[in-house]
Amino acid sequence: MYLSSSLCAVLLSVVMASPVDTGLLHIDEVVVTASHVHADPISSQSSVTVTTDYLNERMPVSLSKGLDGVAGVQSSSIGSGQSKPAIRGLGFNRLAVMHDGIRHEGQQWGDDHGLEIDRFAIDHIEIIKGAAALLYGSDAIGGVVLLNSDEPRTSNMRSPKSIGGKAYLFAQSNNALMGASMRLHGSSGTFCWRANATYQDYADFSVPTDSFEYYSYRIPLYKRTLRNTAGREADGSLMLGYSASHWHTCLRVYESWARSGFFANAHGLEVRLSDIDYDRSRRDIDLPRQEVNHLKVLWYTAYCQDDWKMEINAAWQHNLRREESEPVSHGYMPTPPDAMERQFSKHTATLNAAARWNVSARHTLRFGLQSEMQHNRRSGWGFIIPDYEQYSIGAYAGEEWRVRNGLTLHAGIRYDYAHTDIHAYSDWYRTPVGDTAIYQVRSAEQARDFHSLTWSLGVRYRSDGWLLRANIGKAFRTPIAKELGADGINYHIFRYEAGNSDLRPEESYQADLSVGWENRYVEIRVDPFAGYFPNYIYLNPTADYREGLQLYRYTQARVVRAGAEMMLTIRPWQYMDINLQGEYLFARQLSGDKAGYGLPFSPPWRIMPEIRFHWAPSVQSVNPTGRWQGYAGINVRICGAQHDIVPPEKPTPGWWTLNISAGQTIALPTCSLHLSMKAENILNKKYYDHTSYYRLIDIPEAGWNLSAMLGVDF
Amino acid sequence: MRKPLLISTAVAFVGAMMLMVVSCENAVKDTTPPAIHEADFLPADCDIYYTGDTLLVHWVCEDDAELGNYNIEIHNNFDHHTHGTSNVDCDDADSGHAHGSVEAAWVYNQDYAIPRGQKMQTIEVAIAIPAEVSEGDYHFMLRLTDHAGWQTLKAVPIHLRKAGE
Repeated sequence: MYLSSSLCAVLLSVVMASPVDTGLLHIDEVVVTASHVHADPISSQSSVTVTTDYLNERMPVSLSKGLDGVAGVQSSSIGSGQSKPAIRGLGFNRLAVMHDGIRHEGQQWGDDHGLEIDRFAIDHIEIIKGAAALLYGSDAIGGVVLLNSDEPRTSNMRSPKSIGGKAYLFAQSNNALMGASMRLHGSSGTFCWRANATYQDYADFSVPTDSFEYYSYRIPLYKRTLRNTAGREADGSLMLGYSASHWHTCLRVYESWARSGFFANAHGLEVRLSDIDYDRSRRDIDLPRQEVNHLKVLWYTAYCQDDWKMEINAAWQHNLRREESEPVSHGYMPTPPDAMERQFSKHTATLNAAARWNVSARHTLRFGLQSEMQHNRRSGWGFIIPDYEQYSIGAYAGEEWRVRNGLTLHAGIRYDYAHTDIHAYSDWYRTPVGDTAIYQVRSAEQARDFHSLTWSLGVRYRSDGWLLRANIGKAFRTPIAKELGADGINYHIFRYEAGNSDLRPEESYQADLSVGWENRYVEIRVDPFAGYFPNYIYLNPTADYREGLQLYRYTQARVVRAGAEMMLTIRPWQYMDINLQGEYLFARQLSGDKAGYGLPFSPPWRIMPEIRFHWAPSVQSVNPTGRWQGYAGINVRICGAQHDIVPPEKPTPGWWTLNISAGQTIALPTCSLHLSMKAENILNKKYYDHTSYYRLIDIPEAGWNLSAMLGVDF
Repeated sequence: MRKPLLISTAVAFVGAMMLMVVSCENAVKDTTPPAIHEADFLPADCDIYYTGDTLLVHWVCEDDAELGNYNIEIHNNFDHHTHGTSNVDCDDADSGHAHGSVEAAWVYNQDYAIPRGQKMQTIEVAIAIPAEVSEGDYHFMLRLTDHAGWQTLKAVPIHLRKAGE
């Protein structure tokens, strides 16, 4: 006790010079709820809200991993501890990530980097399951991940002048991760501000295997670690807000930096001949490696008057990604002069305007205009994605009709136009063709226009503990530069990838339903869905060889998808929850070379039973920012086998892991302390995740792992 | 009231989905990679060849649906790596034959087509070994696809010696 309070005092005195006005500024967070039945009160879409408490309890390595426990959301490992979220099996650019109202750009280009967002700077996460093109445009074909930090108006600014903050220390055993995060926030009259900083450092990942097979090469692992998968990450952000009676404005700046090694043995075969001593240290970051910088500046202004609310969102993002590897000659390519294999520099400017008009007590209209400009330049001696510019503009209108108490109808229509200019690219070295040697063209110059008309209809009905939501609609996705213009060898996976300049915008028709019922003891929710894609863009493995490697070509096929998620919570006792979540997904290609097959990386069925105890004594706390509350839980993740495979996948056997977690909040006079611990895969099971890229090279998922986090709120 | 309507909508939706799932399951698909027969495969493990000579490739491939194409690649094994499809590691240095320079190592990489519609095929290829390449240990790599896009790999360690040795 004495130790805790002195620790608080030390932290506080280090952090700030001004006096602490305890408890009066506390950014509201929803109390930990084990179930996710509670959703956005107005939307007809099936959505799930994730609180920061939920994330803190799970202590994920990445934001995406933290969402993996939500039914219908998967996290695909893409190597080096990085992962990308997928909703109902659709990820990458079939999923829109909206960060504070702006489409987060960056995760689409590369296979092996994460979201580039500081999870400690996020206060609320909402996941929309299913297509949501009306408001979010292209890419929102599988769903939307909405990441929001608190705005000045939603912050609990009860005091005219206040300052507060949070600090976290966290660690994880599997890859010897250590990190710290700090947040300070304050307000003065109508102004408010917030600053976040996070740093973390991790060593090579360990896996329960001694060797693996990569492109028929048998490779031993030293001390069961994946060579060169260590990394460091630093994030910083700043928010400034101003509120007046009818309007408020907010400026946010986010910077995210990461440097991480690529698993050396699964990044081309040159590593075999390298002089680098990878096994010298677990913490060093040797070649091949990547460095990612993401700078984002967002400006938001909202104006409310009578029945109108108008919002403007403007943003500029700069992605700078460098991939370095040892310069080695390859085929006809001579030894390059330096280690800069690939560099991408992408600028994205976004301007969105939206208006909401409460026409009458029963009708609300929404309008919006969204525009985006992208500018991508590459350099380095390796080629994957060409230079390009892309301009897009979309306009939508929607109506919300409150027919009667509990029953709401939604309808909307949207039109989008996009123009993509892809630049030509030729090799910087000559390749002999017949009697001459030429600079081979890898990407031809092309200009494409895309038009899309989409719509949606929805109904929401709430009565006597029932909640029904149903939607049908059409969504779309503009093909990306890689799909249109790629033409070259992907050495990571040893295949030749050919783009297709004739691709049409990918469209989908989807129907989804969400039925929920709850009383004091039971909450149940079932979310079935079905969808049809007339032209799903698919990287098809062909029977042909090109430049010595199997040719994969982007094609379009008709695809049907269907599935369901189920969530059940039983509360037999006020201190105990029994949760059961499950999901199932089915996909079929109906046309093209792979008619009858499913889709790559299809998640198999999954069930997650959990027993959770929680306590929060109702004694009046000395500190309004925190109560003496805690939890302890045990859960089992059970995953089915996946035999529904497409080349080059292998069937993946089913698996289960046992996990436990516990936490306690200690309320002290000046602050509150949070301690949480989590042990994953405590039986150290060796298993393969079918949705992981490492599955293809037989690398199992991480073994036993212990995480701990200490937090302080002041 | 509304509840029967609500429940029947849900039931109809799930029923339609299941019908769709079942009706899609009828398609026949190839889920197995093609096979490379081990018997009479040439080159055999640890075979010795001479520069300027001919490497004769003879093998039989088979697929339950339809064969695709193949590729032959020969690369040096001066670092003595191993392949999952071949656990044999025959080091020619053991018999007193050192390898030549990596720069002058032999690189062979050629794509070949198999006529469409074949389920089994006997393949014979004669590869001319250049006279001016480094001697030493090499890997002979065979890559075979079937029409569905599955791929099978086979690696064979071979030795290359200077003509006349």
